[in-house]
Amino acid sequence: MRVIVRTVSELCVTVGSLIVLFVVYVLFWTGVRADTVMRDQIDELHRQWSRTAAGGHAAGGPSAAAAGPRTVPYVSGRPFAIMYIPRLGFTWNKPVLQGTETGTLKKGLGHYAGTARLGQTGNFAVAGHRRTYGDPFKDFPRLRPGDAVVLTDGSTWFTYRIDKGPYKTVPADVEVIDPVPRKSGYTRPGRYLTLTTCDPEWGHSHRLIVWAHLDSTQPVEAGKPRALRR
Amino acid sequence: MYGWIWRHLPGNAWVKALVSTLLVLAVVYVLFQYVFPWAEPLLPFNDVTVDNQ
Repeated sequence: MRVIVRTVSELCVTVGSLIVLFVVYVLFWTGVRADTVMRDQIDELHRQWSRTAAGGHAAGGPSAAAAGPRTVPYVSGRPFAIMYIPRLGFTWNKPVLQGTETGTLKKGLGHYAGTARLGQTGNFAVAGHRRTYGDPFKDFPRLRPGDAVVLTDGSTWFTYRIDKGPYKTVPADVEVIDPVPRKSGYTRPGRYLTLTTCDPEWGHSHRLIVWAHLDSTQPVEAGKPRALRR
Repeated sequence: MYGWIWRHLPGNAWVKALVSTLLVLAVVYVLFQYVFPWAEPLLPFNDVTVDNQ
């Protein structure tokens, strides 16, 4: 009898510790890991861009400029841009990686493969975690029409302006990342951006969406766009 | 279970305490490095896309 009671209580203690450890892992450790990984991704992008810039100056030919970094295809799981959303915090910046696989989204925001390239006609759609892995889109519901979403690919600054959102929908609603998303209110083809994350914060029953249109672009040599100046 | 482990650890009480601390740390490491990363995607926090790729 004593052995049974002891074994059961030991099991309870073990399971309890496991649960506590798992909560610590999800709430705290994924964030610590993700912050490091995202910083690494951004550092890698900056290194890559300074290399490209140096190479471009060395080559100096018009062919190098014509080829440009924009024609380089996005590689799945690799970063290609940095996103800034002043509404989510002045220091808020996250790398954007190609693809929306689970492993990719642990390292930053994910660009839906098959949607338009950054700044091109069509819909540049990006997904991000609401919670865990650094909580990139924790404050997603605070986004409002008129807010700026700024991206850079190393050669150009793209400033998008939010037109509609946050719009709540169901996970199967793939129409929201169409080239001209129907419920967004857009009627003609254009250069759009869609952000998606989960809703409620810790659940998966719905998705939150915002839509934006490309407002302006400027080369990086011209300095930061107005939306990012303090 | 824990009593059994404690009895089978070598040395006096201090050595036993040290070895069991190391054992606990090893278990936590394995959990954080291998078990939890495997278990976490089974929970709903990862579903942020609309097409569930």
